[in-house]
This record gives sequence, structure tokens and C-alpha cells, in this order.
Amino acid sequence: MSADAQLLDLAAGAFLLAAVAILWRRDVRAQTAWLSLQGAALAAIAVILGADQAHPELYAVAAAVGLLRAVVLPALVRRAVTARAEDRESAPLINVGASLLAAVALVLLAYAVAQPLVRLEATTAARALPVGLAVVLIGLLILVTRRKALSQIVGFLLLDNGITAIAFLAAAGVPILVEFGVSFDLLLAVLVLRVLTARMRAVFGGSDLDEMRELHD
Amino acid sequence: MSVNLVGTALATSAGLSGMAAAAALCSPVRVRVPMVGVLSALLGAAGLVAGGAALAGHGFSVRMPDLLPLAGISLQVDALSGVFLAVTGAVIIAASVYGIGYAAGPARGRLAQALWPLFAFSLLLVPAAASVSTLLVAWELMAIGSVLLVVSGDPADGRVREAGVWYAVMTHLGLVTILIGLVWLSAAAHTETFAGLRLAAAGVSPAVRGGVFVLLLLGFGSKAGMAPLHAWLPRAHPEAPSPVSALMSAAMVNLGVYGLIRFGLDLLGGGSRWWWLATLVLGALSAVYGIVQAAVANDLKRLLAYSTVENLGLILVGVGAAGVFEDSGHPLLAAAALTAALLHTATHAGFKTLLFLTAGSVLHATGTRDLDELGGLRARMPVTTALFALGALGAAALPGGAGFPSEWLLLQSLIHGLAVPGIVVVVVLPVAVGAIALSAGLAVATFVKALGTGFLAKPRSAAAEHAHEVSGTMRAGMGVVAAACVALAVVPGATAPALMRATAAALRGPGTSLALGATRQLTALGSTLSPLLVVALTLGAVLLLRAGLTLVSGRKRRRAPVPLWDCGAPPLTARMEYTATSFAEPLQRVFDDVLAPESDIDVTPHAESAYLVERIAYSRAVPDRVEHRLYNPVLHTVRRAGRAARALADGSVHRYLGYGFGSVVLLLIVLAAAQ
Amino acid sequence: MIAALLVSLIQVLIVLLGAPLLVGAMRQLRAVMEGRVGGGVLQPWRDLLKLLRKAPQRPEGTGAAFRLAPLLGVACCAVAAAAIPLISTRTGLDAAADLIAVVALLTLSTAALALAGLDTATAFGGMGASREMTITALAEPAILTAVFALAAKVGSTNLPAIVATTLGHGARLASPATLLAAVALGVVVLAETGRLPVDNPATHLELTMVHEAVVLEYSGPDLALIELGAAMRLTVLLGLWSSLFAPWGVATSAGPTRLLLALAVFAGKTLALGALIAAAEVFMAKLRLFRVPELLAGSFLLAVLAVTASFFLA
Repeated sequence: MSADAQLLDLAAGAFLLAAVAILWRRDVRAQTAWLSLQGAALAAIAVILGADQAHPELYAVAAAVGLLRAVVLPALVRRAVTARAEDRESAPLINVGASLLAAVALVLLAYAVAQPLVRLEATTAARALPVGLAVVLIGLLILVTRRKALSQIVGFLLLDNGITAIAFLAAAGVPILVEFGVSFDLLLAVLVLRVLTARMRAVFGGSDLDEMRELHD
Repeated sequence: MSVNLVGTALATSAGLSGMAAAAALCSPVRVRVPMVGVLSALLGAAGLVAGGAALAGHGFSVRMPDLLPLAGISLQVDALSGVFLAVTGAVIIAASVYGIGYAAGPARGRLAQALWPLFAFSLLLVPAAASVSTLLVAWELMAIGSVLLVVSGDPADGRVREAGVWYAVMTHLGLVTILIGLVWLSAAAHTETFAGLRLAAAGVSPAVRGGVFVLLLLGFGSKAGMAPLHAWLPRAHPEAPSPVSALMSAAMVNLGVYGLIRFGLDLLGGGSRWWWLATLVLGALSAVYGIVQAAVANDLKRLLAYSTVENLGLILVGVGAAGVFEDSGHPLLAAAALTAALLHTATHAGFKTLLFLTAGSVLHATGTRDLDELGGLRARMPVTTALFALGALGAAALPGGAGFPSEWLLLQSLIHGLAVPGIVVVVVLPVAVGAIALSAGLAVATFVKALGTGFLAKPRSAAAEHAHEVSGTMRAGMGVVAAACVALAVVPGATAPALMRATAAALRGPGTSLALGATRQLTALGSTLSPLLVVALTLGAVLLLRAGLTLVSGRKRRRAPVPLWDCGAPPLTARMEYTATSFAEPLQRVFDDVLAPESDIDVTPHAESAYLVERIAYSRAVPDRVEHRLYNPVLHTVRRAGRAARALADGSVHRYLGYGFGSVVLLLIVLAAAQ
Repeated sequence: MIAALLVSLIQVLIVLLGAPLLVGAMRQLRAVMEGRVGGGVLQPWRDLLKLLRKAPQRPEGTGAAFRLAPLLGVACCAVAAAAIPLISTRTGLDAAADLIAVVALLTLSTAALALAGLDTATAFGGMGASREMTITALAEPAILTAVFALAAKVGSTNLPAIVATTLGHGARLASPATLLAAVALGVVVLAETGRLPVDNPATHLELTMVHEAVVLEYSGPDLALIELGAAMRLTVLLGLWSSLFAPWGVATSAGPTRLLLALAVFAGKTLALGALIAAAEVFMAKLRLFRVPELLAGSFLLAVLAVTASFFLA
């Protein structure tokens, strides 16, 4: 195995580890730290792929992705966390143990589903595809099972990181313009959600999404 | 028929069973019990000899066309049958000797005593059967015998009756699925002897073989206590008299596994991968579900029954893995997995017999099976306590216990199974290893609970306070099986040649990878383990430490008794102890979603003030959730259908005749259409 | 053969003598970081010697299980220390040096201690035993699945074989599978040795004790053995972890200088790991008992990921 391939494996491993850790921790601030690590791993994947396939423009993408995903977005989420303890906890709908076991099933599912793709092209990058898919699924799991709006933002970011990773690994990167477009959409979405969370807190005194149901009546 | 060791031994056991049954019916009560016990033990010994001879390579085959109308009886014994014959024979010996001292009340009656040798013989007959009809007859004999023995303990007790009904219904539903499956197979293959089926099975269409296998998996699986068809097991095994429980839990359930191996692997020749993946997954599910239920059970015998569900689940994992490996062209791995399954069958039979017999002794001495009411037996029943500890060590699969080598071998085969290509294998094997590990870990907690709260500490009831050690024959029965457990725990390698023949018979392939010659250690696929070395080293280290300690403290000082720490608020009473319920409470909470326990706290306030509490009552019940969610709806539907069917019978004779006429005409139309 | 047995003996002795020193060093580091003076590295040994000189006692109503557990605890750790390739892959006990067997031996000592706790018939003993067994039972899946990930690559659960293979292919250590397995086993080691965040070895608060509640009734030489056993357990598990994931320095040949070097490296590695744990504990709080299953489920998840990662990431 070449050194590049091994580095890519390591980066993919760290990427997955960060997703698991985010699912594991309840404290939103700890989650943002892991989110930063995941962004860095994503940037590393882009850099390694760029070096491997001699696509210099990937370096630019990596720099942009790294800045946005490892620094800006986690910082935005962190700033939204107030000092109040109840807001820091992500308040899962199903207990963390069960969601971790669900994650085991999802990872295995991702692995099984991605097999045809991997077989199509047996490069190291393609073999890491299930990792991206697994992170997407874990992101969705967080979106579905967490109560607080902030944790939902974290899940959303995880989902997007997974999608970007798949794009890198499957097609050696999306065109740079598209990537920037998506990234700015993401930035906008996070900002909007932040404002929304702040408003919710101001009006209802909490960011529990279950309480939104009361608006229905 | 030439003189054949296996045949002679089997014929002897048949004769002994007849003699014992006759003796039970004719002799007065004082002679009856010892006579039946001794004759049955000899019967078991004959079975053990037959099994041992088969394992040593002696074959046996006989056809008695006149013994049964239509098909006759055909018997054949190969090494695979030999494993089950030998295990069953050994269990019969121990349980029969034990039964002499144990039998009391209704269990000393003519019928109960006559049934025992007949049931024991039917257990030997099943693995010796060589045709579908013989197998079905033996299977039904076994089913009827065990049902009657379950209710023989105390027919007046409502719980015993309920268990009997559950068991009778489920075992016969199982028989029906096996019957349909085997008749279907015989019809498709145009033969009903095993030898014929073995040749013809390859020509049967895969769809039929798949259908037959599913039916057999349901039928044999329910006998082997496979979840979710296990519901009869934790009801029937605790309520039966303890020697019967031992025979059922250690010998009868194995025959479900035998059926699966015989038909699935041997006669049907392996079949498709999904058969065995289903077996493996259901086995892993049974293992985890069984042990989680056992961990929170308070009734000692119910705990052991659930542990049987767990262990049979592990055996099914082994069988399933063997099928998967065989299907993907890895005969060595398949042999290792099947060897593990067979070895675990033997070791489980050993420690489970021991545990049920010791539990029987506790029941005999105290009259209760409730762990919360026991405690403090170590001083009153030292032999029973020591033997229970030995069995618990085996059930917890810790070094020195009988279950350790077989679970080690099972894990080895699964770990090396990753060499098999295929996504499903990669997904299933890690989860299976996790399930085995979880069940092993919970088994340790379960048996620490059973031993610690049931036998150690202080007695928590008058019954436990006045317990006494059991009689000589009971101790002898327990002692025999304890010796077997120790042997299996420290020199499991000695069984290697025999198990190699058995796996070769089942897989029709090469022998196993268990190293020949090295009887002291197990070698599987590049890993080696010598349980004897581990045990000897640990014991040696303990002795060395003791000697060292005596040396350091100068002379052997007497241990001065000191009071226990009572937080400065004496006296400590037995009511302050941790009971089995409290011990299992954390686990119950962890598995809350799986178990859905029903707990209830009842606070009675003082008459004078609502804020003063007079007493608090806490009650907890952990119902079998599978039973609630799966069986109750089915029973409900059946009951509704029954009520609806009642409208068909209004008492008019003309109507009944009309039904008969109608069905004859319908049958004729179907026949005409079919041609 | 004689040389190999000698290696095993050296390993047992170094663990036996060094374990209290490791605990002493960890306590001292923690004391310094918290601004206390601390009792010094030798304090555990001083405690042990003092306890050993005291008269043995028998708390009323206790039996053989209570007396045997301390002996069994030390004995199991000693056998594990002899079997694991701590300083050399050529130990004399190849047929016992199985990863699963070592795990089972350590579980046996836990079970024996839990039985001793129940044997005292006090609420403390029972409470501790119940909690300890719950944690042990839930840790088991993570351990064996991580073992699965490690053994599947080598094709054996034999410890010397695993260590020798890892030494031969150093680059393999940087694979995601190994890293995930390392984290999973690391969490389990913390749980099995009763360190933070699972159990607090320094607590005597009734409601939070796990290990300390089990051993509450022990005194004198028995307590000395219990303390020694706990320290050896920590050393053996840290040694096992470092042999699996950082095997550099473990000798593959039997030269005396090589062994001496391996000995020094082993001491260094174990001390470094111990220091890491002690330093981390300063900043950590104990988890609630019913959050521990989450921790262990996470560890199991990582172990499963390690197995699958060894497939999708070559």
C-alpha cells in the first residue's frame, strides 16, 4: 500500500471517528470540537486526493472547505450555545446507547450498499466511499433523533460533510464553482437557523423543537 | 445380524427400559424407586457405550420391517448420532442415580416411574433413527413422554398444569411442521430412508428444499428453544421435577440441533447460504435474548431454563456458521464451527445437568426456587454449593469451566470466517461475535447472581435457614456429572478424534482442524489453547501466594472474627442484604427497552399523617416480552376463529352429514382437476 | 524453553514489583497537578508492607469465597502477566497466551471479587458486586469485537503472533482499523480497571463506589492482596494495550541485552500511559452509573467500525 493510500485511509478513519463522537457526546460544545476535526479531515482528504491525482485546483477547494467546515461553521454553532446547561445538552429522543447501536447497523448498511460502487473502481478513494455514506446516514440519524434546534444544525452539518466527502471520493471533487455555491448555501442555512434558534429562545425560552408543535394549534 | 457393539448396546438399553418400566408398574413403592433408578442408569450406560462405540468408528445399521406397520423400523448409527447418544446416555446416568433420592410424592407413583425409562429410551432412539417414519415415531414418543413427566411432579398445581398445556401444544405444533417438512421431502425424493434421501436430495428442486428447510428450522428450532419459538422452555423446564428438567434441558433440546444438522447439512447437503444465515442470526438472537431474561430471573430454575435458550442459541450460531462456510467452499472452517457446536452441545449438557440437579437439591432442601428467599446455603449444604459453583463456572464460560473451551472454539471459527467473501458475511460475523460476547458477559453476571445471592451470604428465609445437605444418591448423581464437567473443562482436546469423525459424517468432507494427538490442547486454525495449562497455572499461583503469605506473616495465625461494618447502626439483618432482584436491577434498567419490566411501588402512609410512611412494597415482574407481543395476538386470533367456527356446529345431524358429503365432493373435484 | 520460562518469570516479577510503583507514580502526578504534596511514589508499597504485617481477620459470616477472592485476583493477574508478551514475544506459555483466554482470566478475577462482595451479606458488598458485574458484562462485546478486528488480520488470537506480526509490519499500526480498535480497547481498559470516568478509585462516597464498595470488608493481608491485585490488573491491561498498539521495544529474540532494553521500554511505555490517564483524570468527572452503558456501547460501535474499516479501508 502506498503512503498516499494509507494517509487517505487515516483521514477517512478520522472523518468517521468524528461522526461517531458527535453521536456519542451530549454536550453541543464538545460536538462542535469534533465537527472542527471532521472539517479538517475533510480538507485533508481533498489535499491527499489533489496530490494523488495531480489536480492542483483541489488544493484551493481544500483550503476553502477547511476554512469553512473546520473553522467558520463550528464557530458559528459554538457562539449560539448559551451558558445555560439545558441548552448545551442535545436531549436525544432515543437514548444514546440505542442510537449508537443504530449507528452500528447504519455503518454496516452503508458498507453493504456501497459495495457495487467499490467494485466498479477498486481505487483507495472508491473503497473509502462507504465512510462518506455512513456519515450521511449518521447525520440523518442525528437530525431525526435530537430535540434541540442546535443539535439539528450539527446533524445537518454532518450530513453535508458526508455528501461532500462522497463527492470528493467518487469524482475527485465537484467542480469548484458548485462547491462554493453549496458551501455558501450551507453558510446561509446555518445563519438562518441560528437566527431562528435565537428567536425561538427569546419567544419560548428554549429551543426544544417538540414545543414547536404547539404552534400548530 | 452380526454381533455389533453399538447394536448390542442399543438392544440392551431397549430391554432395560422395558424391564424398568415393568418393574415400576409391578413392584411396591419402597423397591420401585431404587430399582427404576438403577435400571435407568444402566440404560444410560448402555446408551453411552453405544455412542462411544459409534464415535470410535463402529457403524451400525438395521432394518426391522415387521416392527411397525407400513414402513417398519430402521436404525442406523454413525459418528454424528454417536455424539448425541453419548451425551444423552451420560445425562441419563446422572439424572437416574440422582432421581432415586429425589423422587417424592406423586413422582414416586407407578406411572411417573414407568415413564422415566421409556422417555430416556426415546431420547436414545431419535438419533439412532434411519428413516423418516422411525424418526417421527421416536420424536412423538419423546414428546408424549416428556409432557407426561412435566405434569407428573405435581399435577394439582395450576402453574404445572399451565406449563404442561403450553408445552404440549408447542411441541405438537413443532411436530406438525417437522411432519409436513419430512413428508414433503420424502414425496419429492420418492424415498423415506436416510440413505435414499442423501442420494436423492440433490435432484429435488431448490424451492422444495428451501421450503422443507424452513419447516424443519421451525420444528427443530422450537425444540431447541430458538427464539422466538422458545416460549415453552422457560415454562416447562422449571415446573418439571428436577431430574426431568435436567434430562430435558441437557439432552432433549439437543435433539433439535441434531435434526437440523442431520437434515440440513447431511441429508439435504448444505443447501443455500440463506438457510444458514437465518440459523445463525436466530441463534445469536436466542443467545442474547435468553441470557438477558436469565439475568433478571429470580426463579433459580427459570434462570437455568433461559440459560438453556442462550446456550442452544450459541450452538445454533455454530451450526449456522458451519453451513455458511460449507456453502462458500471453506470445509476447514465449516468443520471447526461444527466441532465447536458439537463440543458446546456436550459441555452444555454437562454443566446444565449439574446445575439443574443442584437446583433440584436446593428445592428439595428448602422447598423454594426463589433466589430472593434463599441465601446462606454454603454453610448448610457445602457439597451442593461447591458443585453449583463448578456448574456456574462452566455456564459463565470462564477458565476452568466446561463452557470455556467450546466458546473459545466457536469464537475462533467466527474470527477466521472473515476469509469468506461476501458482504453478508462481513456484516453478520462481527455482529455475531458481539452477540456471543454480550451473552458471555451477561452469563458471568447471571451466574455470579445465582451463586452469590442464592448460596452465599446469609439466609433470607426460614426455609433457607433450616436447609440440610441432600442424600447420598443425590450427591452421587451430581458427583458423576461434576467429574465429567471437570474433564471437559481441562482436557477438551481428548474429544478431538471423536468430534472429528462426527463432523466428517455431517459434512461429508475432510476432518476437522482440531489437532490430532495433542490431547492436552485445542488447536484451531492457527490458534492454540491449553485449558489445562491455564487452570494449572492459576491454581499453582494461588497455592504459591498462600504459601508466600504464610511465610510473610511469620506463622499461621488464626483469623480473628470481627463484626461487619454496619454504618454504626446495628444490627445488620438479612433484610438489608442485596437480593437477586436488587442485584439485577442495573441490568434491568440497561435492557429496559428489551425487557419492558412491570414494576410497582406501593406506599402505605401512616394512619396519623400522610407524610409518614408505614411500609413500602416493591414488586417487579419481567414477563417474556416475545410471549406478550407474538403469542398473545396469535392466541387471541385463534380464539376468535374458534368462536366463529362454533356457528358452523348448530347440532343438526343433517348439517354434519352435509359437511362430510360436501368435502368428499370437493376432494373428488380437486382430484379430477388435478389429472 | 528454560530461557522462555525465565522471560515469563521476569514479566511476572516486574509486574508484581512494579505495579504498586505505577499506582504510586500516578497518584503522585495527580497530587502535583492538583497542587498537593502527595505521598510519594513509594507510598503504595509502604501501605502494602504495613497491611501485610497486620493480623488476618475474618468478618463474621464470611466464607471461602471471601477468603479466596484476593488470592485468585493476584493469581489471575500473575498468569496473565506471564502469558502476555510484555517484554518478549518468546514467553514460555505459548499455549496460554491467547487473547481471549487472557480476557477470560481477568473476568474470572472480577467475578471472584464480586462473589466475595456478595458473601459479606452487607448492602455495600452487594451493591458494588452488582455494579461491577453490570459494567463487566457490558464491556465484553467491545473487548471481543476489538479482538476480532485485531485477530482477523493476523489469522490468530495468539498474542505473541499478533505482536510479532505488528512488529514486522509497523506501517499497519497507522491503519484506521487499528486506530479505532485502539480507542475501543482503551475505553474498555479504563472500565475494567475502575478508572475515571467509569469508577473513581479515590472515592469512599457510598453512592458512587463500585470497586471500593466490594472490598469494604477487607483488612490486613487480604486488603494488601486486593490492592496489589488491582494495581497488577492496571499494569497488565496497560501492558496488553501497549503490546497490541505500540509494540516497539518488545524483544523477538532472547539476548540478555535485548531483554534489558525491552524491560526499560516496557517500564517507560506503561509509565507514560499511566501518566496520561492520571493527567486526564484531573480534568474529568465520573459518569453517572447509568451513563456508563452509553460509553461502553460507543466503545462497541468503535470496535465494529474497526472490523468493517479493515474491509472498506484495506
